[in-house]
Amino acid sequence: MIRFTDVTFTYAEADEPTLRGIDLAIEEGELCVVVGQTGSGKTTLLRAINGLVPHFTGGRLSGDVRVDGRSTREYPPRELADVVGVVGQNPAASFVTDVVEDELAYTMENLGIAPTVMRRRVEDTLDLLGLHELRSRPLSTLSGGQQQRVAIGAVLTASPRVLVLDEPTSALDPAAAEEVLASLTRLVHDLGMTVVLAEHRLERVIPFADRMVLVPGRGDPLVVGTTADVMATSPVAPPIVELARLAGWRPVPLSVRDARRLADPLRRRLATVPAPAPAPAPVLEPVPLPVAIAEQLSVSFGEVVALDGVDLQVRPGEVVAVMGRNGSGKSTLLAQLAGLRKPTKGTVHVLGQAPTDLPPRRLIKQVGLVPQDAGMLLYGETVADECATADHETGLAPGTTAAMLETVLPGMPMGHHPRDLSEGQRLALALAIVLAPAPPLVLLDEPTRGLDYPSKYRLVELLRKMAAGGDCIVVATHDVELAAQVATRAVVLAEGEVVSDGVARDVVCHSPVFAPQVAKVLAPDPWLTVDEVRSALAGAAP
Amino acid sequence: MSPPTLGSPPTLTSTAAIRLRPRASVLLAVTSLVGAAGFCWPLLIHGRATANLAHSADAPWLFVAVLPLLLAVVLGELAEGSLDAKAIALLGILAACGAALRIPSPGVAGFEPVFFLLIPAGRVLGRGFGFVLGAVTIAASALITGGIGPWLPFQMFGAAWMGFGAGCLPPAKGKAELVLLAGYAAVSALLYGTLLNLWFWPFGAGTTTSFSFVPGAGLVHNLHSFILFDVTTSLGFDIPRAVTNGALVLVLGRPVLAALRRASRRAAFDVPVVYD
Repeated sequence: MIRFTDVTFTYAEADEPTLRGIDLAIEEGELCVVVGQTGSGKTTLLRAINGLVPHFTGGRLSGDVRVDGRSTREYPPRELADVVGVVGQNPAASFVTDVVEDELAYTMENLGIAPTVMRRRVEDTLDLLGLHELRSRPLSTLSGGQQQRVAIGAVLTASPRVLVLDEPTSALDPAAAEEVLASLTRLVHDLGMTVVLAEHRLERVIPFADRMVLVPGRGDPLVVGTTADVMATSPVAPPIVELARLAGWRPVPLSVRDARRLADPLRRRLATVPAPAPAPAPVLEPVPLPVAIAEQLSVSFGEVVALDGVDLQVRPGEVVAVMGRNGSGKSTLLAQLAGLRKPTKGTVHVLGQAPTDLPPRRLIKQVGLVPQDAGMLLYGETVADECATADHETGLAPGTTAAMLETVLPGMPMGHHPRDLSEGQRLALALAIVLAPAPPLVLLDEPTRGLDYPSKYRLVELLRKMAAGGDCIVVATHDVELAAQVATRAVVLAEGEVVSDGVARDVVCHSPVFAPQVAKVLAPDPWLTVDEVRSALAGAAP
Repeated sequence: MSPPTLGSPPTLTSTAAIRLRPRASVLLAVTSLVGAAGFCWPLLIHGRATANLAHSADAPWLFVAVLPLLLAVVLGELAEGSLDAKAIALLGILAACGAALRIPSPGVAGFEPVFFLLIPAGRVLGRGFGFVLGAVTIAASALITGGIGPWLPFQMFGAAWMGFGAGCLPPAKGKAELVLLAGYAAVSALLYGTLLNLWFWPFGAGTTTSFSFVPGAGLVHNLHSFILFDVTTSLGFDIPRAVTNGALVLVLGRPVLAALRRASRRAAFDVPVVYD
């Protein structure tokens, strides 16, 4: 269906080719997952499929890319629109109209399809993606997962035979991501559509993938093979695969079920070593006073009760993971701690004062909040500009924010516009701006959206370092792996109430929803991360 | 994710979103000459040739008929081959914004910000793009505001030249660039008003007043009459318009230029596509 023959591509300003000598064939009805680190050339590879590379980007391409027998050399992207549908990272960026139905019809209007056919295809697509209840809703009122499904529907109405998706879930929370991936597997299995998907969130995709393409970057040759083969050596891998490598399981298991079947010897071996330490919480003497205290905190938006009688204390050195489903009150709790809104009932105190009483300039030195959409903090024209503004507004010495950025993520492109950054880079920038005034309480709302494994790892390191330095960190997250790695305490919210609050290991291990992959594989023993298992085995090595 | 090479901040002042190839350039020059004649004929008409004078009443209508055809030819030639999807997208969006800018203009004291977007766009995206954008913006705004009439092709020409001129300005950076653009905005808005008066003058001022067009009366006499006409009828409108447009560029020019440059960088207009 898709055939790359000796394809080499170089961007106009680059010295080295981004893709070098690529030979790749993707057959009809395959779900092919493209993995690789940020900047390795995944996007370039995907965009070459429908000719956006080089027709849109410019640059030099040799070799041949054929889709359904048509070469991108002779067919510009617009003449491949009936064969290849492309969906990007941020669905809202691709919307042209305001209403779901209109958006679905828009592509067909451009292709000049007869109204009766259009009508039928809109209906088909609504059913296929389960959007019929949303048909007349304005796009702006949809959740992220719904928006992304509409974006997929909008390209499906042209009835393409290939669907290319570039990190379609990286701007979504896990529930929404699952929704989108479920729709995709349905398209592959029910319609035999060919799907090429670049993805960071591998733990959810790999059980469904037929084949995997690893883009190592720097123009190195692609690694192509079955998912298990590629995962055995891939530098980006979900925890389950890392555990498999550590334990030497072959073939590499791709789901928790497969891994559990292989895990018996490992479990028995681990039973001989001491169970992991309860929690790496630093015990400071004397026990420090809490930095943030919420007492009987209730917040209502009209009829809706977002928080209901929440009691919470956060002490220096703690990393508190606030978990719970969408709408359980996680973001509202962070907003309260950050003083964005007065509580309806109860009190919030940060360092002995209600944050809503503090003038903004003092508040940002006490509480730092990184919102879910990090771009909301960014309105400068370049990264450097953004850093300078932050220094100025907080009264810091010029260069402080830039220096902080260098520790968070070295080598940021300072001349870029914030919107041209990747999700990870944008988060790093927002984080640097928030952290520069050194607030003792740092709040992060869903900070791992769109981060690849190395960026996530760097974030974990940074949070650990901050906690060790005595900062308090509250992270609202769906990402159980993040919670497993950094949290000392976990608080689970449901319907605005705290349903469990305790040492992170106890809380997450005993929940089927919040347990990380390693814990699920090694249950009932309370192991959380691959690193723990690795160091335990190293200590127990004969 | 953006390709890693979109990198370095913009150093160039202008790209060519619509490339003017030789044939298009010649056509544009010839058409502009005819357009100029359409505006200036009352001043240039030769007094002693009675055959010329006989046509002085129907000449404006001839130009009204011919200019749209010429404009169509030029726009068609520009669109042929060198207008890609990216340029069309930008053109559509900017023309829509420009047309929308015309809606709030109450016409009071000359507040008419329609040229404000055109000038930074011509500056950043090049003179070919500026020319097309000027023409398309006026056409689109005429559709919205009900401004379709014999004056429309002349307005389109005026705005097209304004956009073209913005793309021809000398290189400058930072504050100097803003001042340059603001100055150009003011002067060109004034010129635009004067040019359209010139078109309107032969039949707008009647034949009997002291500033009426007198066919065959010679350049000096008619120029004098025209200046009188211009000053008395519309300068009170044109000068505030020139000032507001210049001021708008000064105040909002920086973010608009930055946004346009970012769009043009991402669209990679100047980057050639090569197949080996």
